[in-house]
Amino acid sequence: MMETLKAFFSFSDPSIVSVTLGAVLLSASSAVVGTFTFLKKKALVGDAVAHAVLPGICLAFLLAGNKNPLILLIGAFITGWISLVLIDWITARSKIKEDTAIALVLSVFFGIGILLLTRIQHTGNAAQTGLQSFLFGKAAALVGQDLLIFGIVAVLLLCTVALFFKELKLIAFDEAFAQATGLPVKGLNLLLTTLTVLAVVTGIQAVGVVLMAAMLITPAAAARFWTDSVLRMTLIAAFMGAFAGLAGAFVSYTAPTMPTGPWIVMIISLLALFSFFFAPQRGILYRQYEQRQLQRQIMEENVLKELYHLGEKDQGSHSGRSLEELIEERYFPEKRLRTALRRLRKKGWVQQQNGQWGFTKAGQEKGRRVVKLHRLWEAYLSTYLKIAPDHVHEDAETIEHIITPELEAELEQMLDFPDRDPHQSKIPY
Amino acid sequence: MKVEVNNPAVEFHDLTVSYDKKPVLWNIDMTLPEGKLIGIIGPNGAGKSTLIKAAMGLLPLGSGYVRLFDQPLDEVRQRVSYVPQRGTVDWDFPTSVMDIVLMGRYGKLGLLRRPSKADKALALSCLEKVGMEAFRKRQISQLSGGQQQRVFLARALAQEADLYFMDEPFAGVDAATETAILEILQGLADQGKTVIVVHHDLQSAAEFFDWIILLNMRLVAAGPIEQVFTNALLQETYGGKLTVLSEVSELIKKRSVPSREKY
Repeated sequence: MMETLKAFFSFSDPSIVSVTLGAVLLSASSAVVGTFTFLKKKALVGDAVAHAVLPGICLAFLLAGNKNPLILLIGAFITGWISLVLIDWITARSKIKEDTAIALVLSVFFGIGILLLTRIQHTGNAAQTGLQSFLFGKAAALVGQDLLIFGIVAVLLLCTVALFFKELKLIAFDEAFAQATGLPVKGLNLLLTTLTVLAVVTGIQAVGVVLMAAMLITPAAAARFWTDSVLRMTLIAAFMGAFAGLAGAFVSYTAPTMPTGPWIVMIISLLALFSFFFAPQRGILYRQYEQRQLQRQIMEENVLKELYHLGEKDQGSHSGRSLEELIEERYFPEKRLRTALRRLRKKGWVQQQNGQWGFTKAGQEKGRRVVKLHRLWEAYLSTYLKIAPDHVHEDAETIEHIITPELEAELEQMLDFPDRDPHQSKIPY
Repeated sequence: MKVEVNNPAVEFHDLTVSYDKKPVLWNIDMTLPEGKLIGIIGPNGAGKSTLIKAAMGLLPLGSGYVRLFDQPLDEVRQRVSYVPQRGTVDWDFPTSVMDIVLMGRYGKLGLLRRPSKADKALALSCLEKVGMEAFRKRQISQLSGGQQQRVFLARALAQEADLYFMDEPFAGVDAATETAILEILQGLADQGKTVIVVHHDLQSAAEFFDWIILLNMRLVAAGPIEQVFTNALLQETYGGKLTVLSEVSELIKKRSVPSREKY
């Protein structure tokens, strides 16, 4: 394995360099353009364009009679572009909604494309071999003139996005405002459309029309999990795209029977899946972890609160309590109560003596605050929302755990440090 | 009841506007004075937002024209600011408060140029004016409704315009934000700037504005608040739904009739 890695990264074979460079450039540039289609919530449009370039490629081949990449690229560009115009036109001029228009255009164009492709294959023209590689891509063919042309387009895409970054960001966020400030919104939308078509046209060389949408949208969707800034999101998407391109090229180097394009898509999808689960803040696991922390906090605060209640009943003597006493005051499942108490002891809020659990100084303070917040909230509900005293308890059970110190101060001010809650219990300050 | 002014900041001339082929504004014709805080009042579906969108060139005009400072919009864009309704954008967009305010500078910057140090300083001072400087690095999805509205206002201030069109800046904000926004708008009017605000709450309208436009598909009245804010005119705006007008609008939509005949 190490040997293969070394051989690959020494880039001694010029065709490896060429294929890798091509795959990296194409993946990165479509990821960057895709970021803006993603932000404009036009993810499906990329898919439609990708399918709509096929008839263009076939027609260009029929007209030119050879596989000159520049001519095929122009053909692809034209039909890709027409498909987008058509989607807009159908949406504006008929009662058909955008999603239906996209589906219609996609299937009609792709159908025509397959029709033409089949016809070309049956003509027996020797030059046609390899044309079907546009369906699933053939990164291994990214050498010589092909690489040069597609590479130039990819670099052009990256530069254009960099140049118009602030405008593209604004039209993605607030198009009406952009238009009101006098920016040429129509022109900028046209620019983004053109960039999308170009990204697709170059990208299909690597992954093919069927998988192209993944190259546009998946890196952006994955990058969104990691940042809250458009600039960083674009960079992360580009980096993920580039990495997938590199990894795809490596896989097809180690196993030449493996197709590069589908591997690039597989790897970028894995990156997206990873982001979906493991990204901080937005990832699913992080959210679950946060939920668990919250559940624990609520349990601990409830235990402290009940200890405090027991103390109140005993005229303020906060001596140790047994588990049974606590459960009698308020039902807790015994196992959960034990773990909660152990956690509280670790935090230095309770202590245990001869099987009796009691507050530490800090723990008593904490319990007092929860009881206070509970009763303050009850007072607030009955004073400001005019809710009957026998209806406020349930609500306060939740709210007591989430009130911030700022809100606490505000409540105290608003209610003017009330002495008692609506049930005539004393509010402990 | 209509009061006309000399040297108006905004002139609507026989404006008819359709939305989704259905006429929502009929023959709006009025002049609005400079340096005033102006409220556009009317029931739901009266065409209040449509009126300012039409003035900003965001909707095609069926007929008539709008002139700002006696010039067409394109000549004076840099002197005009537009604040869309808060709900029209995606607040989960990956960007920071400061970034949004800087967008107010894009019009003056033009294409390709990046915001300079001076632009950033100005944006920061606008954030200070709305009391949001502590939030400048915050992601916008973390803002409350009132804070979102303040950020939109800061972005408008960063445009350094002479004429402001604002769509419901007081909608869904807390009391403190309402006061803060009102003070800023009054400050703008005191500096001689014209502020035109779509507003839906009659009660506060009476306290907020110098000049009132009563709208319900047609112009009911426009003029100084003490002349326009009368029971009779309010009754006409809110109570007097013109059923025939609405029905004709529906007909026009159904049959796709152009609002003006063309040969």
